[in-house]
Amino acid sequence: MQRPTPRRRVTLALAAAAALTLAGCTAGSAGGAGGASGDSTDGPTTGGTLTVANSFVVKNLDPAQVYEATGAMAVHAMYDTLVTFEGSDVSDPQPLLAESWESNDEATEFTFTLRDDVVFSDGSELTAEDVVFSLNRLVNLKGSPSVTVQGFSASSPEEGVVVVTTETPNPNVPTILAMPATGIVNAETARANGATDAADAAESDSATSFMDGESIGSGPYVLDAFDPASEIVLTANPEYWGEAPAYERIVIQNVEAQNQKMSVERAGRDFVALDLSGRMLDDLDDALQVSSTQDTFYFLTLHQDPAVSEVTSNLEFVRALRASIDYEGLAALFGSEARPAAGMVPTAFAGALPESESKAQDLDAAKQHLAASGVTDPSVTLMFPAMTYRGVDLATIATKVQNDAAQAGITVQLDPQPIASFLDAQSAGKVAFRFSPQSLNYPVASSLVNNFHPGQTSAERTGWTLERATPEAIAAGDRVRAALDTAEQDAAMQDWQRVLDEDGPYIPLAYNSGVVVSTSDLVGADYSPAGWQVDLRAVARR
Amino acid sequence: MTTTPPSGGAPARDRWRGVTHAARYISRRIAITLTLLLGVTVMTFLIVQAVPGDAASANLSETALNDPEVVAAYRAKWGLDQPLPVQYWVYLTNVLQGDLGISQQTGRSVLGDLLTYVPATLEIALPSMLLAVVIGTAVGLYAAVHHDRTGDQVVRVGTLVGLSTPSFWLSLVVLYVFFYLLGVSPSGGRLSTWIVPPERVTGMTTVDAALAGRWDVWWDAVQHLALPVLVLTTLTVAVLTRFVRSAMLEVLDADYIRAARAKGLPERTILRRHVLRAGLVPVITVSGLAFASLLSGTVLVEQIFGWPGVGQYAYRAASGLDMPAIMGVSLFVALVYTAVNLGVDLLYGVIDPRIRVS
Repeated sequence: MQRPTPRRRVTLALAAAAALTLAGCTAGSAGGAGGASGDSTDGPTTGGTLTVANSFVVKNLDPAQVYEATGAMAVHAMYDTLVTFEGSDVSDPQPLLAESWESNDEATEFTFTLRDDVVFSDGSELTAEDVVFSLNRLVNLKGSPSVTVQGFSASSPEEGVVVVTTETPNPNVPTILAMPATGIVNAETARANGATDAADAAESDSATSFMDGESIGSGPYVLDAFDPASEIVLTANPEYWGEAPAYERIVIQNVEAQNQKMSVERAGRDFVALDLSGRMLDDLDDALQVSSTQDTFYFLTLHQDPAVSEVTSNLEFVRALRASIDYEGLAALFGSEARPAAGMVPTAFAGALPESESKAQDLDAAKQHLAASGVTDPSVTLMFPAMTYRGVDLATIATKVQNDAAQAGITVQLDPQPIASFLDAQSAGKVAFRFSPQSLNYPVASSLVNNFHPGQTSAERTGWTLERATPEAIAAGDRVRAALDTAEQDAAMQDWQRVLDEDGPYIPLAYNSGVVVSTSDLVGADYSPAGWQVDLRAVARR
Repeated sequence: MTTTPPSGGAPARDRWRGVTHAARYISRRIAITLTLLLGVTVMTFLIVQAVPGDAASANLSETALNDPEVVAAYRAKWGLDQPLPVQYWVYLTNVLQGDLGISQQTGRSVLGDLLTYVPATLEIALPSMLLAVVIGTAVGLYAAVHHDRTGDQVVRVGTLVGLSTPSFWLSLVVLYVFFYLLGVSPSGGRLSTWIVPPERVTGMTTVDAALAGRWDVWWDAVQHLALPVLVLTTLTVAVLTRFVRSAMLEVLDADYIRAARAKGLPERTILRRHVLRAGLVPVITVSGLAFASLLSGTVLVEQIFGWPGVGQYAYRAASGLDMPAIMGVSLFVALVYTAVNLGVDLLYGVIDPRIRVS
């Protein structure tokens, strides 16, 4: 056999390298579907795999530490909570681990009766002690999600019964206990791996890294693999006490938004995309399903301390700016799933104002308010996070505000900041004029009052103290907090927003939607404003 | 203690001199590397402190930031409540014991994270570099030999376009063409979602699949490599081709090449034995830097293809002001550049005996 010459060897090597590259590039045509696509046209069958494409926001999968969207979605599939929500409706908590519940008249004590047929993924029985441990651990860890259960404590007077008490009246306890962060863990296994529900849990609990590798819940799926940079793999829980999960495997993949659009359009089946919004939805393939709910609002905040700004603390100036905004045109920038704001509560939640109360531009009123303000130099600097949120570049929105304000004679300078710097400046409480998106911590409108009412932390950072707020604004917030049933509270929330529209330092601009896009073979792929985006438990083939 | 050279005459003395010279050289390089790494930790620490923003702001929810108790617990947990010199000293003493700390983003050890993500980056960097060197050298040499002719003009325009093309744009274009329009390539990730990954041995999916004898998985992994490798190769080829062309042009104009031609040596021999070898020194320098750049993270390419490598890790660390991870990535990048430079220096000696002697 003739040996190749050196030159021929180089040629062969080049040819081989080129062939490998070409083979790699063209392999899909022979081998079938690719990667995230789950293409079903000529590839192997998925074998019961659902692919969920998401731009990752996740640090860990410990229920008591999770607050980011991606993590909450995965945790919700692995850990049962006492109650839950179905589909997009977050107004009516449904039983899950709890068969029933009742509260005392003061809304400070809630008694939950547990199902007696629930087992964890290791086959052991779920007891009231597991529930008490999980909830108290959440409170004492003092992590990001602990804020929603501040002042809560859990106990079990008898097996099968859990009592949750709150320091102050709170008719929304059942709703809060549907949040993924309140997922119930196997207390014995958790303790064996460093978890504790003691008062010093913030310092002594070390179980999070264990729960990043293994799930210890009773949900329909269990954790198979977790990499915060690339994917979360769930598999069906063979011990699940309820109806068997629809998929053998769910892969939540970290996929950039533009790539998600291409992937879902080519997928054909078993594919869900979670980050398509704004203009990306405009020319989407008609065969795909789109589920959306308006659950986020975008708003301006004007500091009320004259020492920070003589201009923004002038209530007539705030009114002038509020009247100068072209709300309709601004909402259009967010795409078809947005609408002009009526108040601070997005339409996904009870307590939102009706669409008939949506704001509209009134330049004459704006000029009158500006004249009444007495401000001789109506120039302000608008700080905002330099980022794209839900498919919309916030700089675009800020520029629109700048142009609208100019029509009323108000000069706005733009000051984009990196998100960490923006949050830092916001926390310092010295930003005269800022713009940001806002979601609710849990799906109850009154949670906004806990943040934005005069004297509350967010309001304080805006200089909106009890001394500076009008009596009407204070009274409206107090009525929300005093309400002991949800219907009364929702009505009070509407009144609070109307008062804020006159006397508050906030200017809600628009509501934007969370969106789930899925292939047409799926059912249950509805967007949920409950915090988990899409309920993976409910997603199944038709 | 003193050492004396072994007896045995001049050759033995020369060998001994060579050994001690090499030992001194290596010692000097190690000392420089350690000083460099120390400098990197100091500079990185200071720069991160100077950046506006706070780790608590970047890592806690907005509502949690409103709760001083939660913020205090976070700062205490990560040692952020300590004075800066104390924070640095604790970090440095831990590093000296091989502990790079715990990432605030992942909650895992930074060393463990690097061992997870570096192989993923290596898996796209190695074939990209190999292809880029082979193609860049061949095309650059071709352009130099055909100086100012049509082929050269085409190469020059092509490389200029390659150099001017943003990596994220090219990534989206190849995805659109090969995945979306033609459907001949996967969209991203390291494996198709329905495939259970092979047992982790090296962290490189292709290698692990081959070791497990799972050739269907190996083939799927190769398909997923194709587009990111194509993008990285294209961008690196553009750089290398221009350097090779320029270096070869310089050599082709040298007197000894004219002399070789005058002596009647065949053009192929001149190119292979005299031009290519002499022109390789600057090419190796650029190749080394390009390789180090690929290894230290190709953030946008990794982001668009959902490739969990060092680039993505560095991006997440920076956006979360995750000090231990930022420091860990900085040390890794410094080590990569140091190692690549050492490798390049050694290669100089192999290629050019004059450098070896000096």
